[in-house]
Parts: sequence; C-alpha cells; structure tokens
Amino acid sequence: MELSIDRLTKHYGHKIAVDRVSATLTPGVYGLLGANGAGKTTLMRMLCSILEPTSGEVRLNGKDVAGMGAAYRDVLGYLPQDFGYYPTYTAAEFLSYIAALKGIPRDWAGKRVKDLLDTLDLTPVADKKIRTFSGGMKQRVGVAQALLNDPQILILDEPTSGLDPKERVRLRNLLSEYAGDKIVILSTHIVSDVEAIADQVFVMNAGQFIMRGTVPELAQKVAGKVWELTVPREKARLWQEQVTVANYRHEGEQVVLRILSDDRPSAEAVACEPILDDAYLYYFGAKEA
Amino acid sequence: MELFALEHKRLWRTPRVLICVALCFFYLIIYTGVISFQWTYFGSQGDDPTNLYSNTPNGYSMIRTYKARADQYGEYWTDETLQNLVKDFQTMIPHTSLSSMYDWTVGLNALKLYEELTDNEQQQYQPLIHYVDTEDLTDFYTRRQDYLEHNLKVNQQNMLLTDEDVEMLREMDSHVKTPWRYEWTRGWEKTLTGTLPMLSRMAPYLAIALGFLFSGEWHNSTAPLLHTTKYGWKKLARVKVLSGFAFAVEFYALIAGGTVLLQLIYLGTDGWDMPIQMLKIIAVAPWNMLQAELYELAFAFLGVIGYTGIVMLMSALVKNNVLSLVLSLAFVYVPDLFARYIPMWAQDAMQFIPMVGYPTDIFRMNIFHIFGKGIWLPWMTITIPVLIGVVCIPFAIRSWARRERA
Repeated sequence: MELSIDRLTKHYGHKIAVDRVSATLTPGVYGLLGANGAGKTTLMRMLCSILEPTSGEVRLNGKDVAGMGAAYRDVLGYLPQDFGYYPTYTAAEFLSYIAALKGIPRDWAGKRVKDLLDTLDLTPVADKKIRTFSGGMKQRVGVAQALLNDPQILILDEPTSGLDPKERVRLRNLLSEYAGDKIVILSTHIVSDVEAIADQVFVMNAGQFIMRGTVPELAQKVAGKVWELTVPREKARLWQEQVTVANYRHEGEQVVLRILSDDRPSAEAVACEPILDDAYLYYFGAKEA
Repeated sequence: MELFALEHKRLWRTPRVLICVALCFFYLIIYTGVISFQWTYFGSQGDDPTNLYSNTPNGYSMIRTYKARADQYGEYWTDETLQNLVKDFQTMIPHTSLSSMYDWTVGLNALKLYEELTDNEQQQYQPLIHYVDTEDLTDFYTRRQDYLEHNLKVNQQNMLLTDEDVEMLREMDSHVKTPWRYEWTRGWEKTLTGTLPMLSRMAPYLAIALGFLFSGEWHNSTAPLLHTTKYGWKKLARVKVLSGFAFAVEFYALIAGGTVLLQLIYLGTDGWDMPIQMLKIIAVAPWNMLQAELYELAFAFLGVIGYTGIVMLMSALVKNNVLSLVLSLAFVYVPDLFARYIPMWAQDAMQFIPMVGYPTDIFRMNIFHIFGKGIWLPWMTITIPVLIGVVCIPFAIRSWARRERA
C-alpha cells in the first residue's frame, strides 16, 4: 500500500495554507509536527478528502482518492481535531452509529465496539452519555470511532490533546501496536508523542515540509548545537534573553540550561546528545514553537 | 435500514425534539382539546359570558344532554325540524343564554334563507331567531336552492366564476341528497372548523424539531467525521430525509390520533353521515361529516409532509441552526404578515404553502384554473403543499451533498 501526496496545495484567497507538499507514505507511523497554523490540519483534511485541494492530488496505490469516493473512505479512519459527537448518545451508541455509517455489518460492529471500548478503557462508562465525559474520555471515544473499520489509513489530528500522561502513553502504545501493515498519520505539536512512536517525522512550517526523516535523523541535524550550561540562578534570565533555551532545570542554587546554539555559548558549556525537541526548537525558535 | 433506525432513534432522543412534541401535545390535545371540550367550549356557561373560563367544566355531560335534546327533532332536516328548533329556542331564551343552547348554530345558519323576515324596524337589534314566526319557516330546500343560485350568479357577475365553473358546482351540488340527515351538529362543527384545522399549528413545533436535522451537524462539529465514513453525506442525507419524514408521520399520528380519540370520547360517532351542508348551507360538496373529516385529516397530513420537506431543505441550505429555524418559520408566518400588501393572485397562491391554507375550503365554492381547466380549490390545497415538500427533497440532498467537499 502506498499513499502518495503530489504537490498538494491549498489556498484560501491570498493565504497559502499548504504549499506544494509532496511525500510517499508506506505502512508505518508518520508524525506531523508543526506549530499552530503551520498547515497540519489543512493537509490532513485534504488527505481525508474533506477539503478539495487548490492543486495537486492524493493517490492511493496510484489512484486519485478524489475519484475513489466510498472505496477510499472504506479504508480510512479519521479523528478530526475538533472531534464532534452527539451529546445525548452513550459511548456505545455513538460507536454503533458511526459503525453503521461506516457500513460495518451489525454483528461484527457489536463485537468491534465492545473490543474498542475495552481497549480504550471505556467499558465502565460505555452506557454513560458522552456529554458527561471528561475531555480525555471524549478523545478516547474519538480514537475508538476512527479505529472502528480497522482502517488501512488512520489519520489522527491532535489525538493526544486532553489526555493525561497515562492515557497518552496508552494511546501511543496502541497506535504503535496498530500500525503494522497500515499507514498511521498523526499530527501534533507535542514533540514527545511523535518521538516515541513515529517511524518518520514531517516538520511543517508555513504550509511546507521543512524537515523530514526518522527521529534520530532529525535530531542529528542539530548535532553539535546542543549545550548544557550550569549558571547561578540570578544569571539564568540573562541567558534566556540571549540564546534559545530548550530546557531550564534547577539544581540547588544553580540552574542547568539546555542551550541551542551554533557556537559554544560559553567555555563552561558542555556539548550534549541532541533529541527531537532540540531540532524542533532550533528550527522554529523557542517563541514560535 | 440499521442506519435509518439509529438516525431515527437519535432524532427522537434529542431533548429539543421531545420538548417540542410534549409542548405540542399539551397545546393541541390538552389545552385546545380536553380543556376546550370539558370546560371552555361545551361546559355550561358561567356568570360572565365574555369569559369562557367562567364556564363549568362539565362538557362531557353537557354534550350528552345536547345530543339527547337534538334527538327529539327526528332523523332528517325538514321545515318542521327548523320550526320546532326555533320554537324551542324562543321558549328557552328567556331562561338561558344563546351559547348554552343545544344546537343554535344550525338554527342561525338555516335562518339565513329567511332574511326577508327580518324586522328592520326593531328598536334594539335581535337576531331573527328570537322573534321569527315559526309558521313562516317553510320551503327550506327550495329556498336553499335559490340562495345557492343567487350566490353563483353574483360570483359569476363579479367574474369570480365562469359559466363552466358554475356548471361544475351545480353538478357537485346535484349529488347532495335531500332531506338531509340530522343529528346534533355542534360537535361536528367544533371538529371540522375548530380542532382539525388546528392541526396546522403543528408547524412551529415541526420547525423546531426538524430545523436542526442537517444544520445541527455543523453545530455538533460532526460534519468532518461523517464525511469520512464509508457512506458519506449523500447516503446519510437520504437516511436523514427518511427519518425526518418518519418522525413527521409519527408526530402527526400522535397529535391527529389524540385529536380523533378525544373526539370519539367526547362526541362519539353520531351524525357521521350528516351532509356538511348542515354546517354551511351553501356548501356544494356532496360529502358527509366523515368524508369531510377524512379530507381534513389528509389535508393536515399532507401539509405536515410538505412542510417537513421545506424545513429539511432550509436545514440543508444553511449551516446555522437559528437561521434554519427562522427560514422555516418564515415560510408559514411571513405570508400572513404581508398578505394585505400583495396582489390578489399572490394571496391566492400563498394558500398552497404547506400549513398555510385552510381545510375549511371544503365549505367554499372557489375554483382554480390551471391550463384552462377548472379545479375545485380543496383539491389544490391538499395536493400542492405535499408536492412542494417532495420537490424540496432532492434539493435538500443535493445542497447537503454539495458541502461534502469544502
């Protein structure tokens, strides 16, 4: 299976939301990383065929998905960023409804709904109305509906938003396990989510992929540019104003700063092994990120 | 089928829909039904005749009293029936009020044929029924025929009816068999000119219940999710339309069924075979009360279906729930607001909007001309609204499906 994105572009009047983006995706987990407004959601909506591109196309195994209609939607699972639900439905009813919309046979749908409720730890609240759920629980219902038809292409827009750390880890594990021979694309601005599970990461800015590669490859792009410097607490703020500080950690009366800089910022600074966070911050700058 | 069942269930479980159905039930069945039958309309009149709520809530037993009294006049409406009825009225009037009389409307209606007996010299106006010499009340059916001919001629002279129209109406009237069957009429009058026409008041409740059918998906932010499902918007639109109609039919069945049930409980079925001329002597339709009731029920049903189509179209056209509701309500209420400012032909056309026309047109002689062919108005007012609704459906589905790709 191959999902190709060919010079995909979306204009809103004079504003360019996505600008000639191209990629070829084969089974695996893909992380789409970018600040708010980078174009991630627009790209995902075009991948789902919800939004018509201004130009370019998305092809599944060589076929333009715009012309595939139901055949494409049959292999697609999507969690929108602003996941909507019917407040008066219970989790089980909502999933059954979406299962019917996805054309899943009734007997299989019942079993699938039960399994997913179990997998996403929603069984105890399966018969409670969704409007009574916490943000994290609603998000899990959203993930469950995306997985209902066992999609070959799973697109999740900000799936970890609203989840507590335990739920995030559980979801990451679930997606890793699920991927196998499927294409999973998840967008986020939380670097650690991508770092943990993505086989490939696309970093987006101003509607374009500005970086792509595996997590170590991207991290290596800032090799030799990550430093740790221990300074007295009163000088920490001064350093923050002068350089990009990726992390700020107290150690007694001292503060350990993780600094991103092309040159060694101080004779006392020690070079560090870079991580994806560093690369992301280096290219976006602390403020933009 | 399963999707339809789920969509339909979802619609019925929406709090807004349940509140609408409950309010409509209260208004049309409890307030204008039970309360009216038992208290304000048939209850014996209280001290203040201008205040219906001063009546005694004894409608059920009063109806039985009225019926028993009316039975004294025999099975058929003859000169003698009219004379006896007016005679009894004149005997009773010093002791009771007009509206407490058992069948005063039929008497007043019939006396329209005897206008020349009106005393124009009387110092204080009193209706003819109070003082007419009952011996003069003769030749009822001949007079009725003359009255009808006179009206036909006046309408013809005023260019409201053509020669063909007049012939058509005469032909209809020729099937009205005389002498007319007679039973107590006020119950049927209440049913055919009161409770059944009130079914058109379901319109705002339908608009609130179904106005959000499509636009609500934007409100719930479920639109992108629905689009990526296998069946997509087009199939969902069909399912929504089907569940919208199913809801409308069930809602109608509940309200109309409740209305008919109340009628059966309070009024029974007596007099079902009376001609509708007992309620309006100049009516030409050769129908009995039951036929008229079936027409009015069908009129309301087809109006509900037609209006449901309009509401669903409005809901599919706009993304905003409030706008959808306002547009749907505008169809019913704006024509009324502007009726007096628009040309006559436009006023005539407005009665074909679902839930706007009146089922009581069966008592009228209006003829509509389409491609030179005259059609009796009630046939138009029953068919055109439902056609309007049906025509709206493909546009609703198309409009909704068009939004599939933004």
